[in-house]
Amino acid sequence: MSVHLTTFLAILLMGVATYSTRLIGYALLGNRELSPRAKRVMDAAPGCVLISVIAPHFVSGGPADLVALIVTAVAATRLSLLPTILIGVASAGLLRLL
Amino acid sequence: MTFPIPTTSNDDAIPVGRTEFLRGVKKSIPMMIGFVPFGLVLGAQASAKGFSPLEVSLLTGINFAGGSEFAAIGLWTSPPHLLLLAGVTLLINSRHILMGATLAPFLRRFPRSKALIALALMCDETWALTLSDAREREKHGLFPSLTLPFYFGVAICLWLTWIVSTAFGGLIGPALGDITRYGFDMAFPAVFLVLLRGMWTGMRAARPWLVSGVVAAAVYLLVPGAWYVPAGAVSGVLAAWFWSAETHT
Repeated sequence: MSVHLTTFLAILLMGVATYSTRLIGYALLGNRELSPRAKRVMDAAPGCVLISVIAPHFVSGGPADLVALIVTAVAATRLSLLPTILIGVASAGLLRLL
Repeated sequence: MTFPIPTTSNDDAIPVGRTEFLRGVKKSIPMMIGFVPFGLVLGAQASAKGFSPLEVSLLTGINFAGGSEFAAIGLWTSPPHLLLLAGVTLLINSRHILMGATLAPFLRRFPRSKALIALALMCDETWALTLSDAREREKHGLFPSLTLPFYFGVAICLWLTWIVSTAFGGLIGPALGDITRYGFDMAFPAVFLVLLRGMWTGMRAARPWLVSGVVAAAVYLLVPGAWYVPAGAVSGVLAAWFWSAETHT
């Protein structure tokens, strides 16, 4: 199996770019103590990132995808991780067949 | 293999380390199942662009951020455009900046060298699982809320799953077709929705999330590329900053 030099270089550069994004937030906050207000903001931040990542799912698919997403969201409010995943995958797979 | 043990509890560190590591492994299992179909698809797409399975696993092992890897494969040319790839990767993964910042208060108890290794393995799912677990433990008064063995239990399992499944996808390549069609792509929103439920503390606190979701969806529809992630995340955080000025009721 071969590894091309330019391919490896590109992968390395991507890795450096990604690792820098992982470090910056930690390095900026480092050992600083957060103000109560900043702490409240940081409490909301993870949810903001999560919802931004999945937002396209709500607007990119057809009606079948949207219904499957709503079913999954309802499942998520009362079930644990694995059953929710199973219900999400099954409902998306079935509804797309219709 | 030995794994870092929490420096704060020296007396009974090893048994705690082992159970915490296993707890992390267990916690990562549903997510590992979610990784496999995506890994296979990414590997197959990469092989169509001329990647050998070894090159695929180098990409997914060194970079370890799925979204940017799908984008890179989509943009891949021969020879690859190095700056374009690095720039797009930086943009798509800019959300890690915020994620690293939210982990910082938990990582600060550990030696810097170990925190830097932990961050190297931080992907969306590792971050989300460990952060929600740490907050849950904090709520129940468990100390320490985040241990390194737990973190590495989650992180190493997901990292290896990603490397192996993408390399395997590269091997079986074109025979595969798009298996995410059959509904497997719903695994990730499902995981993220469960995690959001865990972070839910009421309507008022969730208002910034709504801002993020609406902005991200709008930017996704209007602007090509991956700008919707930083746009949604930053506008939600700004909204949280704005609302956090209100007196707490």
